Amino acid sequence: MEVIVFVKRVPSFEEEEVRIRQDGSTLDLSGIPFRMNDWDSYALEEAVRLVERFGGSVTAVTIGTDEDDEVLRRSIACGAKDGFLIREGAFVEPIRRAGLAKALIEKEGLRFDLILTGVQAEDDQFASFGGILAGLLKIPYAGMVVGIEEALGDSLTVRREIEGGMQERIRISLPCVLSIQTGINQPRYVSIMGIRRASRVERKVIEGGKILSAERSRLRLERFFYPEKKERAKMLEGDLLGVCQGILGILREKGVL
Amino acid sequence: MSYNLCFAEVRRGKFEEKNFDMLGLCSLLEGQTFVLLPKSEIEVKGVERIIEVDLREESFLSPLSLVVVFEEVRKRYGDPEFLLFPHSSFGMDVAPYMAGYFGFSFLSDLSSEREGLLLKPFFSEKALAGFQFEAPPPYVLTVRSGSFKGLARKEGMPEREQLRIAILEEKRSFVEYVSEETPDVDISKADFLLSIGRGVGSREEIPSYEILAQRLKATLSASRPVIDKMWLPKSRQVGISGRTVRPKVYFAMGISGSFQHIQGMKDAECIIAVNRDPNAPIFQYAHFGVVEDMHRVRDMLLELLGKG
Repeated sequence: MEVIVFVKRVPSFEEEEVRIRQDGSTLDLSGIPFRMNDWDSYALEEAVRLVERFGGSVTAVTIGTDEDDEVLRRSIACGAKDGFLIREGAFVEPIRRAGLAKALIEKEGLRFDLILTGVQAEDDQFASFGGILAGLLKIPYAGMVVGIEEALGDSLTVRREIEGGMQERIRISLPCVLSIQTGINQPRYVSIMGIRRASRVERKVIEGGKILSAERSRLRLERFFYPEKKERAKMLEGDLLGVCQGILGILREKGVL
Repeated sequence: MSYNLCFAEVRRGKFEEKNFDMLGLCSLLEGQTFVLLPKSEIEVKGVERIIEVDLREESFLSPLSLVVVFEEVRKRYGDPEFLLFPHSSFGMDVAPYMAGYFGFSFLSDLSSEREGLLLKPFFSEKALAGFQFEAPPPYVLTVRSGSFKGLARKEGMPEREQLRIAILEEKRSFVEYVSEETPDVDISKADFLLSIGRGVGSREEIPSYEILAQRLKATLSASRPVIDKMWLPKSRQVGISGRTVRPKVYFAMGISGSFQHIQGMKDAECIIAVNRDPNAPIFQYAHFGVVEDMHRVRDMLLELLGKG
Protein backbone atom coordinates (compact mmCIF):
# COMPACT_ATOMS: atom_id res chain seq x y z
CA MET A 1 0.00 0.00 0.00
CA GLU A 2 1.42 3.37 -1.07
CA VAL A 3 0.62 6.03 1.50
CA ILE A 4 1.21 9.79 1.38
CA VAL A 5 1.02 11.51 4.75
CA PHE A 6 0.78 15.29 5.13
CA VAL A 7 2.40 16.70 8.26
CA LYS A 8 2.75 20.24 9.59
CA ARG A 9 5.14 21.94 11.96
CA VAL A 10 3.28 24.24 14.34
CA PRO A 11 4.07 26.66 17.17
CA SER A 12 2.94 25.15 20.44
CA PHE A 13 1.11 27.59 22.70
CA GLU A 14 0.14 24.95 25.21
CA GLU A 15 1.89 26.74 28.05
CA GLU A 16 2.70 29.97 26.25
CA GLU A 17 1.01 33.30 25.99
CA VAL A 18 -0.11 34.47 22.54
CA ARG A 19 1.30 37.90 21.69
CA ILE A 20 -0.21 39.80 18.77
CA ARG A 21 2.25 42.12 17.02
CA GLN A 22 1.61 45.84 16.63
CA ASP A 23 0.44 45.38 13.03
CA GLY A 24 -2.44 43.25 14.36
CA SER A 25 -2.14 40.62 11.65
CA THR A 26 0.92 38.65 12.77
CA LEU A 27 1.97 36.98 15.99
CA ASP A 28 5.22 37.31 17.88
CA LEU A 29 6.61 33.78 17.75
CA SER A 30 9.96 34.50 19.40
CA GLY A 31 10.67 31.97 22.12
CA ILE A 32 7.69 29.80 21.18
CA PRO A 33 8.57 26.11 20.79
CA PHE A 34 7.66 24.37 17.51
CA ARG A 35 6.81 20.72 17.03
CA MET A 36 4.95 18.35 14.75
CA ASN A 37 1.22 18.96 14.89
CA ASP A 38 -0.16 16.46 17.40
CA TRP A 39 -2.85 15.11 15.02
CA ASP A 40 -0.26 14.56 12.29
CA SER A 41 1.89 12.43 14.61
CA TYR A 42 -1.02 10.01 14.83
CA ALA A 43 -1.57 10.12 11.04
CA LEU A 44 2.12 9.41 10.47
CA GLU A 45 2.12 6.50 12.92
CA GLU A 46 -1.00 5.05 11.29
CA ALA A 47 0.63 5.33 7.84
CA VAL A 48 3.75 3.51 9.03
CA ARG A 49 1.67 0.77 10.70
CA LEU A 50 -0.38 0.20 7.52
CA VAL A 51 2.79 -0.21 5.50
CA GLU A 52 4.19 -2.59 8.12
CA ARG A 53 0.98 -4.63 7.76
CA PHE A 54 0.43 -4.54 4.01
CA GLY A 55 3.81 -3.62 2.54
CA GLY A 56 4.46 -0.56 0.39
CA SER A 57 5.90 2.74 1.49
CA VAL A 58 5.14 6.07 3.13
CA THR A 59 5.98 9.46 1.64
CA ALA A 60 5.80 12.48 3.97
CA VAL A 61 4.93 15.94 2.67
CA THR A 62 4.88 19.30 4.41
CA ILE A 63 4.05 22.81 3.25
CA GLY A 64 6.02 25.66 4.78
CA THR A 65 9.49 27.12 5.15
CA ASP A 66 12.98 25.58 5.30
CA GLU A 67 12.69 25.11 9.06
CA ASP A 68 9.76 22.77 8.52
CA ASP A 69 12.19 20.20 7.17
CA GLU A 70 12.37 19.13 10.81
CA VAL A 71 9.00 17.33 10.57
CA LEU A 72 10.14 15.53 7.41
CA ARG A 73 13.25 14.22 9.21
CA ARG A 74 11.03 13.12 12.07
CA SER A 75 8.69 11.36 9.62
CA ILE A 76 11.59 9.53 8.00
CA ALA A 77 12.90 8.53 11.42
CA CYS A 78 9.45 7.07 12.10
CA GLY A 79 9.54 4.96 8.96
CA ALA A 80 8.71 7.17 5.96
CA LYS A 81 10.72 6.39 2.82
CA ASP A 82 11.20 9.99 1.68
CA GLY A 83 9.85 13.50 2.02
CA PHE A 84 8.83 16.63 0.14
CA LEU A 85 8.84 20.22 1.33
CA ILE A 86 6.59 22.57 -0.62
CA ARG A 87 8.05 25.98 0.08
CA GLU A 88 5.44 28.69 0.73
CA GLY A 89 5.01 31.87 2.75
CA ALA A 90 3.59 32.38 6.21
CA PHE A 91 -0.20 32.01 6.33
CA VAL A 92 -1.46 29.74 3.58
CA GLU A 93 -5.23 29.47 3.34
CA PRO A 94 -6.71 25.96 3.33
CA ILE A 95 -7.79 26.02 -0.33
CA ARG A 96 -4.26 26.86 -1.46
CA ARG A 97 -2.64 24.32 0.85
CA ALA A 98 -4.79 21.58 -0.65
CA GLY A 99 -4.22 22.96 -4.16
CA LEU A 100 -0.45 22.76 -3.64
CA ALA A 101 -0.79 19.18 -2.41
CA LYS A 102 -2.74 18.18 -5.51
CA ALA A 103 -0.24 19.95 -7.77
CA LEU A 104 2.68 18.14 -6.11
CA ILE A 105 1.03 14.74 -6.51
CA GLU A 106 0.36 15.40 -10.19
CA LYS A 107 3.63 17.09 -11.12
CA GLU A 108 5.81 14.56 -9.30
CA GLY A 109 3.64 11.66 -10.44
CA LEU A 110 3.29 10.36 -6.86
CA ARG A 111 1.38 7.08 -6.79
CA PHE A 112 -0.85 6.42 -3.81
CA ASP A 113 -3.59 4.18 -2.51
CA LEU A 114 -4.20 6.26 0.56
CA ILE A 115 -3.58 9.82 1.75
CA LEU A 116 -3.55 10.43 5.50
CA THR A 117 -3.41 13.65 7.47
CA GLY A 118 -4.38 14.86 10.93
CA VAL A 119 -7.96 16.00 11.57
CA GLN A 120 -6.75 19.52 12.25
CA ALA A 121 -3.67 21.63 12.93
CA GLU A 122 -3.13 23.02 16.41
CA ASP A 123 -2.35 26.48 15.06
CA ASP A 124 -5.15 27.54 12.71
CA GLN A 125 -7.65 24.78 13.59
CA PHE A 126 -9.26 24.78 10.13
CA ALA A 127 -9.83 21.00 10.18
CA SER A 128 -10.18 21.10 6.42
CA PHE A 129 -7.02 20.10 4.55
CA GLY A 130 -7.84 16.41 3.98
CA GLY A 131 -11.42 17.10 2.95
CA ILE A 132 -10.56 19.85 0.48
CA LEU A 133 -7.78 17.72 -1.03
CA ALA A 134 -10.15 14.76 -1.51
CA GLY A 135 -12.71 17.09 -3.09
CA LEU A 136 -10.10 18.50 -5.48
CA LEU A 137 -8.91 15.00 -6.41
CA LYS A 138 -12.55 13.80 -6.62
CA ILE A 139 -11.80 10.70 -4.55
CA PRO A 140 -13.65 9.44 -1.45
CA TYR A 141 -13.03 11.03 1.93
CA ALA A 142 -13.70 10.29 5.59
CA GLY A 143 -12.84 12.64 8.44
CA MET A 144 -12.34 12.00 12.19
CA VAL A 145 -11.12 8.44 11.68
CA VAL A 146 -10.43 6.63 14.97
CA GLY A 147 -9.81 3.15 13.60
CA ILE A 148 -8.73 1.47 10.36
CA GLU A 149 -10.04 -2.05 10.81
CA GLU A 150 -9.56 -4.07 7.69
CA ALA A 151 -8.60 -3.86 4.06
CA LEU A 152 -10.64 -5.98 1.65
CA GLY A 153 -9.65 -5.80 -2.00
CA ASP A 154 -9.76 -2.15 -2.89
CA SER A 155 -11.66 -0.91 0.15
CA LEU A 156 -11.15 -0.22 3.85
CA THR A 157 -13.43 -0.51 6.84
CA VAL A 158 -12.91 2.44 9.15
CA ARG A 159 -14.53 3.92 12.24
CA ARG A 160 -15.32 7.65 12.42
CA GLU A 161 -15.83 9.50 15.67
CA ILE A 162 -19.09 11.33 16.11
CA GLU A 163 -20.21 13.22 19.19
CA GLY A 164 -21.28 11.89 22.57
CA GLY A 165 -19.00 8.84 22.70
CA MET A 166 -20.50 7.40 19.50
CA GLN A 167 -18.75 6.15 16.39
CA GLU A 168 -19.87 5.03 12.95
CA ARG A 169 -18.37 2.20 10.94
CA ILE A 170 -18.14 2.81 7.19
CA ARG A 171 -16.63 1.19 4.11
CA ILE A 172 -14.61 3.36 1.79
CA SER A 173 -12.98 2.61 -1.58
CA LEU A 174 -9.33 3.16 -2.35
CA PRO A 175 -7.76 5.42 -3.34
CA CYS A 176 -9.10 7.78 -0.70
CA VAL A 177 -8.17 10.44 1.84
CA LEU A 178 -8.63 9.91 5.60
CA SER A 179 -8.21 12.51 8.34
CA ILE A 180 -6.89 10.89 11.48
CA GLN A 181 -8.11 11.69 15.00
CA THR A 182 -5.81 11.63 18.03
CA GLY A 183 -5.86 8.45 20.11
CA ILE A 184 -6.15 6.09 17.11
CA ASN A 185 -2.76 4.62 18.06
CA GLN A 186 0.22 5.33 20.30
CA PRO A 187 2.85 7.11 18.20
CA ARG A 188 6.26 5.48 18.56
CA TYR A 189 9.15 7.12 20.30
CA VAL A 190 11.68 8.68 17.96
CA SER A 191 15.19 9.26 19.22
CA ILE A 192 17.30 12.32 18.46
CA MET A 193 19.80 9.91 16.88
CA GLY A 194 17.09 8.55 14.61
CA ILE A 195 16.15 12.04 13.48
CA ARG A 196 19.81 12.83 12.86
CA ARG A 197 20.23 9.66 10.78
CA ALA A 198 17.12 10.61 8.80
CA SER A 199 18.85 13.73 7.54
CA ARG A 200 20.86 11.46 5.22
CA VAL A 201 17.67 10.53 3.36
CA GLU A 202 16.82 12.89 0.53
CA ARG A 203 14.02 15.38 1.03
CA LYS A 204 13.02 17.22 -2.13
CA VAL A 205 12.25 20.91 -1.96
CA ILE A 206 9.62 22.20 -4.40
CA GLU A 207 8.75 25.88 -4.79
CA GLY A 208 5.01 26.34 -4.23
CA GLY A 209 4.81 29.15 -6.79
CA LYS A 210 6.30 26.89 -9.47
CA ILE A 211 3.71 24.12 -9.20
CA LEU A 212 0.65 26.31 -8.55
CA SER A 213 0.46 29.91 -9.69
CA ALA A 214 -0.38 32.30 -6.89
CA GLU A 215 -3.88 33.38 -7.79
CA ARG A 216 -5.62 36.08 -5.84
CA SER A 217 -6.29 34.94 -2.29
CA ARG A 218 -9.89 34.09 -1.50
CA LEU A 219 -9.66 34.53 2.21
CA ARG A 220 -7.67 37.31 3.80
CA LEU A 221 -6.48 37.22 7.39
CA GLU A 222 -7.11 40.84 8.39
CA ARG A 223 -6.14 40.82 12.03
CA PHE A 224 -5.94 38.88 15.27
CA PHE A 225 -7.89 39.62 18.42
CA TYR A 226 -7.46 38.47 21.99
CA PRO A 227 -10.51 36.59 23.24
CA GLU A 228 -12.72 38.64 25.54
CA LYS A 229 -11.76 37.99 29.12
CA LYS A 230 -14.71 36.97 31.21
CA GLU A 231 -12.62 37.02 34.42
CA ARG A 232 -15.00 34.64 36.04
CA ALA A 233 -12.61 32.66 38.20
CA LYS A 234 -11.84 33.93 41.67
CA MET A 235 -8.14 33.19 41.97
CA LEU A 236 -6.95 31.55 45.17
CA GLU A 237 -3.59 33.05 45.97
CA GLY A 238 -0.94 32.74 48.65
CA ASP A 239 1.19 29.83 49.80
CA LEU A 240 0.45 26.27 48.74
CA LEU A 241 -0.91 25.27 52.15
CA GLY A 242 -3.35 28.17 52.25
CA VAL A 243 -4.50 27.56 48.68
CA CYS A 244 -5.13 23.86 49.34
CA GLN A 245 -7.00 24.60 52.56
CA GLY A 246 -9.04 27.01 50.48
CA ILE A 247 -9.87 24.27 47.97
CA LEU A 248 -10.98 21.88 50.74
CA GLY A 249 -13.06 24.68 52.23
CA ILE A 250 -14.92 25.15 48.94
CA LEU A 251 -15.51 21.39 48.63
CA ARG A 252 -16.99 21.29 52.16
CA GLU A 253 -19.12 24.34 51.50
CA LYS A 254 -20.51 22.71 48.35
CA GLY A 255 -21.30 19.63 50.42
CA VAL A 256 -19.22 17.12 48.46
CA LEU A 257 -16.59 16.53 51.12
CA MET B 1 -33.44 35.28 -5.55
CA SER B 2 -30.49 34.81 -3.20
CA TYR B 3 -30.51 32.10 -0.56
CA ASN B 4 -28.28 30.37 1.98
CA LEU B 5 -28.29 26.61 2.28
CA CYS B 6 -28.02 24.94 5.70
CA PHE B 7 -26.97 21.28 5.75
CA ALA B 8 -28.69 19.93 8.86
CA GLU B 9 -27.23 17.24 11.06
CA VAL B 10 -29.89 14.69 11.98
CA ARG B 11 -28.83 11.77 14.16
CA ARG B 12 -31.25 9.00 15.06
CA GLY B 13 -34.15 11.09 13.88
CA LYS B 14 -33.23 14.09 16.02
CA PHE B 15 -32.56 17.57 14.63
CA GLU B 16 -29.36 18.33 16.51
CA GLU B 17 -29.20 21.44 18.70
CA LYS B 18 -26.02 22.65 16.96
CA ASN B 19 -28.02 23.25 13.76
CA PHE B 20 -29.50 26.37 15.36
CA ASP B 21 -26.15 28.14 15.17
CA MET B 22 -26.35 28.02 11.36
CA LEU B 23 -29.93 29.25 11.48
CA GLY B 24 -28.91 32.06 13.84
CA LEU B 25 -26.11 33.12 11.51
CA CYS B 26 -28.57 33.14 8.59
CA SER B 27 -30.60 35.83 10.37
CA LEU B 28 -27.55 38.10 9.90
CA LEU B 29 -27.12 37.24 6.22
CA GLU B 30 -29.07 38.50 3.24
CA GLY B 31 -31.36 36.16 1.38
CA GLN B 32 -33.70 33.33 2.24
CA THR B 33 -32.79 30.42 4.46
CA PHE B 34 -33.11 26.91 3.03
CA VAL B 35 -32.60 23.81 5.16
CA LEU B 36 -31.57 20.48 3.68
CA LEU B 37 -32.77 17.44 5.66
CA PRO B 38 -32.68 13.67 5.25
CA LYS B 39 -35.97 11.77 5.10
CA SER B 40 -37.76 12.64 8.33
CA GLU B 41 -40.81 14.16 9.96
CA ILE B 42 -38.75 17.02 11.35
CA GLU B 43 -40.22 20.51 11.17
CA VAL B 44 -38.06 23.60 11.38
CA LYS B 45 -39.59 27.03 11.98
CA GLY B 46 -38.20 30.43 11.11
CA VAL B 47 -36.81 29.45 7.70
CA GLU B 48 -38.21 29.90 4.19
CA ARG B 49 -37.78 26.45 2.72
CA ILE B 50 -37.13 22.88 3.75
CA ILE B 51 -35.75 20.50 1.17
CA GLU B 52 -36.30 16.95 2.35
CA VAL B 53 -34.02 14.54 0.54
CA ASP B 54 -35.21 11.02 -0.09
CA LEU B 55 -32.25 9.46 1.75
CA ARG B 56 -31.92 7.85 5.17
CA GLU B 57 -29.86 9.92 7.56
CA GLU B 58 -26.87 7.55 7.46
CA SER B 59 -26.58 7.93 3.69
CA PHE B 60 -27.34 11.65 3.82
CA LEU B 61 -24.54 12.37 6.32
CA SER B 62 -21.76 11.64 3.85
CA PRO B 63 -19.66 13.95 1.68
CA LEU B 64 -20.10 11.78 -1.39
CA SER B 65 -23.91 11.76 -1.19
CA LEU B 66 -24.19 15.45 -0.41
CA VAL B 67 -22.17 16.38 -3.50
CA VAL B 68 -24.85 14.62 -5.58
CA VAL B 69 -27.64 16.22 -3.55
CA PHE B 70 -26.12 19.66 -3.96
CA GLU B 71 -25.89 19.23 -7.75
CA GLU B 72 -29.67 18.73 -7.74
CA VAL B 73 -30.32 21.72 -5.49
CA ARG B 74 -28.27 24.07 -7.66
CA LYS B 75 -30.11 22.82 -10.78
CA ARG B 76 -33.34 24.06 -9.18
CA TYR B 77 -32.21 27.22 -7.44
CA GLY B 78 -28.78 28.14 -8.74
CA ASP B 79 -25.86 28.58 -6.37
CA PRO B 80 -26.49 29.82 -2.82
CA GLU B 81 -24.43 32.62 -1.30
CA PHE B 82 -23.43 30.46 1.66
CA LEU B 83 -23.36 26.71 2.24
CA LEU B 84 -23.53 26.28 6.00
CA PHE B 85 -22.61 23.35 8.24
CA PRO B 86 -22.28 22.84 11.98
CA HIS B 87 -18.62 22.64 13.01
CA SER B 88 -19.03 19.06 14.16
CA SER B 89 -17.82 15.64 13.11
CA PHE B 90 -20.42 15.85 10.31
CA GLY B 91 -19.48 19.37 9.22
CA MET B 92 -15.76 18.64 9.29
CA ASP B 93 -16.44 15.55 7.18
CA VAL B 94 -18.54 17.23 4.50
CA ALA B 95 -17.91 20.99 4.30
CA PRO B 96 -14.25 20.95 3.19
CA TYR B 97 -15.01 18.21 0.68
CA MET B 98 -17.74 20.39 -0.86
CA ALA B 99 -15.37 23.36 -1.03
CA GLY B 100 -12.69 21.31 -2.79
CA TYR B 101 -15.10 19.49 -5.09
CA PHE B 102 -16.87 22.61 -6.35
CA GLY B 103 -13.98 25.04 -5.96
CA PHE B 104 -15.84 27.26 -3.46
CA SER B 105 -14.17 29.56 -0.93
CA PHE B 106 -13.98 28.15 2.57
CA LEU B 107 -13.80 29.17 6.21
CA SER B 108 -14.36 26.90 9.18
CA ASP B 109 -15.20 27.12 12.86
CA LEU B 110 -16.77 30.57 12.67
CA SER B 111 -17.41 31.67 16.25
CA SER B 112 -18.37 35.35 16.03
CA GLU B 113 -18.46 38.45 13.88
CA ARG B 114 -16.74 41.72 14.73
CA GLU B 115 -16.11 44.94 12.76
CA GLY B 116 -17.35 43.20 9.62
CA LEU B 117 -14.82 40.41 10.02
CA LEU B 118 -15.55 36.70 10.42
CA LEU B 119 -13.78 35.41 13.52
CA LYS B 120 -12.49 31.93 14.17
CA PRO B 121 -10.34 30.65 17.04
CA PHE B 122 -6.64 29.83 16.62
CA PHE B 123 -4.32 28.06 19.10
CA SER B 124 -6.99 26.43 21.29
CA GLU B 125 -8.95 29.67 21.66
CA LYS B 126 -5.96 31.73 22.81
CA ALA B 127 -6.43 34.07 19.83
CA LEU B 128 -9.19 34.88 17.36
CA ALA B 129 -8.37 35.45 13.71
CA GLY B 130 -10.54 37.90 11.77
CA PHE B 131 -11.07 37.02 8.11
CA GLN B 132 -12.64 38.55 5.07
CA PHE B 133 -13.55 36.78 1.85
CA GLU B 134 -11.92 38.35 -1.19
CA ALA B 135 -13.50 36.14 -3.83
CA PRO B 136 -17.16 36.22 -4.93
CA PRO B 137 -19.62 33.65 -3.46
CA PRO B 138 -20.47 30.83 -2.95
CA TYR B 139 -18.79 30.45 0.42
CA VAL B 140 -18.65 27.27 2.49
CA LEU B 141 -18.75 27.92 6.24
CA THR B 142 -18.82 25.72 9.34
CA VAL B 143 -20.31 27.35 12.42
CA ARG B 144 -19.19 26.73 15.98
CA SER B 145 -21.70 25.29 18.38
CA GLY B 146 -23.13 27.85 20.79
CA SER B 147 -22.04 30.85 18.70
CA PHE B 148 -25.14 32.23 16.97
CA LYS B 149 -28.05 30.09 18.11
CA GLY B 150 -29.64 32.88 20.15
CA LEU B 151 -30.32 34.71 16.90
CA ALA B 152 -32.30 31.89 15.26
CA ARG B 153 -35.80 33.03 14.30
CA LYS B 154 -38.56 30.98 15.80
CA GLU B 155 -41.63 32.02 13.83
CA GLY B 156 -42.84 31.31 10.33
CA MET B 157 -43.68 28.04 8.60
CA PRO B 158 -41.48 27.12 5.67
CA GLU B 159 -42.41 25.67 2.29
CA ARG B 160 -41.54 21.99 2.20
CA GLU B 161 -40.48 20.06 -0.86
CA GLN B 162 -39.13 16.59 -1.58
CA LEU B 163 -35.97 15.85 -3.50
CA ARG B 164 -35.49 12.41 -5.04
CA ILE B 165 -31.95 11.33 -5.62
CA ALA B 166 -31.41 8.76 -8.35
CA ILE B 167 -27.71 8.01 -8.22
CA LEU B 168 -25.95 7.14 -5.01
CA GLU B 169 -22.20 7.06 -4.62
CA GLU B 170 -21.11 3.53 -3.75
CA LYS B 171 -17.59 4.46 -2.84
CA ARG B 172 -18.38 5.23 0.77
CA SER B 173 -21.14 3.40 2.60
CA PHE B 174 -22.46 3.39 6.14
CA VAL B 175 -22.21 0.05 7.95
CA GLU B 176 -23.41 0.69 11.51
CA TYR B 177 -23.28 2.90 14.56
CA VAL B 178 -20.87 1.65 17.22
CA SER B 179 -21.12 2.61 20.88
CA GLU B 180 -18.31 2.33 23.35
CA GLU B 181 -17.89 -0.79 25.45
CA THR B 182 -19.97 -0.94 28.65
CA PRO B 183 -18.51 1.72 30.92
CA ASP B 184 -17.13 0.83 34.34
CA VAL B 185 -18.71 3.97 35.74
CA ASP B 186 -21.15 6.60 34.49
CA ILE B 187 -19.33 9.90 35.05
CA SER B 188 -22.40 11.86 33.97
CA LYS B 189 -24.15 10.71 37.17
CA ALA B 190 -21.38 11.73 39.58
CA ASP B 191 -21.87 14.71 41.94
CA PHE B 192 -18.17 15.38 42.32
CA LEU B 193 -15.62 14.84 39.55
CA LEU B 194 -11.88 15.11 39.92
CA SER B 195 -10.76 15.55 36.33
CA ILE B 196 -7.18 15.37 35.09
CA GLY B 197 -5.66 16.60 31.82
CA ARG B 198 -2.49 16.78 29.78
CA GLY B 199 -0.65 18.39 32.70
CA VAL B 200 -0.55 15.01 34.47
CA GLY B 201 2.46 14.31 32.26
CA SER B 202 2.97 10.57 32.53
CA ARG B 203 1.18 7.30 33.14
CA GLU B 204 3.09 6.78 36.38
CA GLU B 205 1.25 9.73 37.94
CA ILE B 206 -2.24 8.30 37.35
CA PRO B 207 -2.46 6.01 40.43
CA SER B 208 -1.80 8.91 42.79
CA TYR B 209 -4.80 10.76 41.32
CA GLU B 210 -6.90 7.64 41.76
CA ILE B 211 -5.91 7.75 45.42
CA LEU B 212 -6.69 11.47 45.63
CA ALA B 213 -10.11 10.82 44.07
CA GLN B 214 -10.79 8.09 46.66
CA ARG B 215 -9.76 10.32 49.55
CA LEU B 216 -11.94 13.16 48.25
CA LYS B 217 -14.78 10.68 47.55
CA ALA B 218 -14.77 12.01 43.99
CA THR B 219 -15.07 10.13 40.70
CA LEU B 220 -12.01 10.36 38.46
CA SER B 221 -12.51 11.67 34.93
CA ALA B 222 -10.18 13.17 32.33
CA SER B 223 -9.81 15.31 29.24
CA ARG B 224 -8.99 13.96 25.81
CA PRO B 225 -5.17 13.84 25.92
CA VAL B 226 -5.25 11.44 28.90
CA ILE B 227 -7.78 9.18 27.15
CA ASP B 228 -5.86 9.30 23.84
CA LYS B 229 -2.79 7.98 25.62
CA MET B 230 -5.00 5.22 27.04
CA TRP B 231 -4.09 6.11 30.62
CA LEU B 232 -7.78 5.99 31.53
CA PRO B 233 -10.70 4.28 29.74
CA LYS B 234 -12.77 6.17 27.15
CA SER B 235 -15.80 6.11 29.47
CA ARG B 236 -13.96 8.61 31.70
CA GLN B 237 -13.67 11.25 28.97
CA VAL B 238 -15.37 14.61 29.48
CA GLY B 239 -16.05 16.63 26.32
CA ILE B 240 -17.99 16.72 23.06
CA SER B 241 -16.63 13.38 21.89
CA GLY B 242 -16.91 11.89 25.38
CA ARG B 243 -19.51 12.65 28.04
CA THR B 244 -21.30 15.87 28.93
CA VAL B 245 -21.35 16.28 32.71
CA ARG B 246 -23.12 18.60 35.16
CA PRO B 247 -21.77 17.70 38.61
CA LYS B 248 -22.08 19.83 41.73
CA VAL B 249 -18.30 20.25 41.71
CA TYR B 250 -15.91 19.82 38.80
CA PHE B 251 -12.33 19.92 40.03
CA ALA B 252 -10.06 20.22 36.96
CA MET B 253 -6.34 19.63 37.40
CA GLY B 254 -3.90 20.20 34.54
CA ILE B 255 -6.69 20.82 32.02
CA SER B 256 -6.16 23.88 29.83
CA GLY B 257 -9.74 23.92 28.57
CA SER B 258 -10.07 23.24 24.85
CA PHE B 259 -13.43 24.14 23.34
CA GLN B 260 -14.34 20.50 23.00
CA HIS B 261 -13.67 19.94 26.70
CA ILE B 262 -15.42 23.09 27.92
CA GLN B 263 -18.59 22.14 26.05
CA GLY B 264 -18.69 18.97 28.09
CA MET B 265 -18.43 20.55 31.58
CA LYS B 266 -19.29 24.25 31.49
CA ASP B 267 -22.67 23.72 33.15
CA ALA B 268 -21.20 22.26 36.33
CA GLU B 269 -22.50 24.08 39.43
CA CYS B 270 -18.99 24.85 40.67
CA ILE B 271 -15.75 24.58 38.69
CA ILE B 272 -12.36 24.66 40.41
CA ALA B 273 -9.34 24.74 38.09
CA VAL B 274 -5.67 24.18 38.83
CA ASN B 275 -3.23 24.94 36.01
CA ARG B 276 0.37 26.10 35.70
CA ASP B 277 -0.51 28.43 32.81
CA PRO B 278 -2.23 31.62 34.06
CA ASN B 279 -3.59 32.11 30.52
CA ALA B 280 -5.24 28.70 30.30
CA PRO B 281 -8.74 29.18 28.81
CA ILE B 282 -10.28 27.10 31.61
CA PHE B 283 -9.91 30.07 33.97
CA GLN B 284 -12.50 31.88 31.84
CA TYR B 285 -15.05 29.26 32.81
CA ALA B 286 -13.97 28.27 36.32
CA HIS B 287 -15.47 29.76 39.50
CA PHE B 288 -12.23 29.27 41.41
CA GLY B 289 -8.74 29.15 39.98
CA VAL B 290 -5.28 28.24 41.20
CA VAL B 291 -2.12 28.90 39.17
CA GLU B 292 0.10 26.09 40.37
CA ASP B 293 1.66 22.79 39.37
CA MET B 294 -1.06 20.14 39.73
CA HIS B 295 1.30 17.63 41.33
CA ARG B 296 2.21 20.06 44.10
CA VAL B 297 -1.48 20.65 44.79
CA ARG B 298 -2.08 16.89 44.79
CA ASP B 299 0.70 16.28 47.31
CA MET B 300 -0.52 19.01 49.64
CA LEU B 301 -4.15 17.88 49.43
CA LEU B 302 -3.14 14.29 50.24
CA GLU B 303 -1.17 15.54 53.19
CA LEU B 304 -4.07 17.64 54.48
CA LEU B 305 -6.57 14.84 53.97
CA GLY B 306 -4.22 12.45 55.73
CA LYS B 307 -4.37 14.56 58.86
CA GLY B 308 -8.15 14.16 58.73
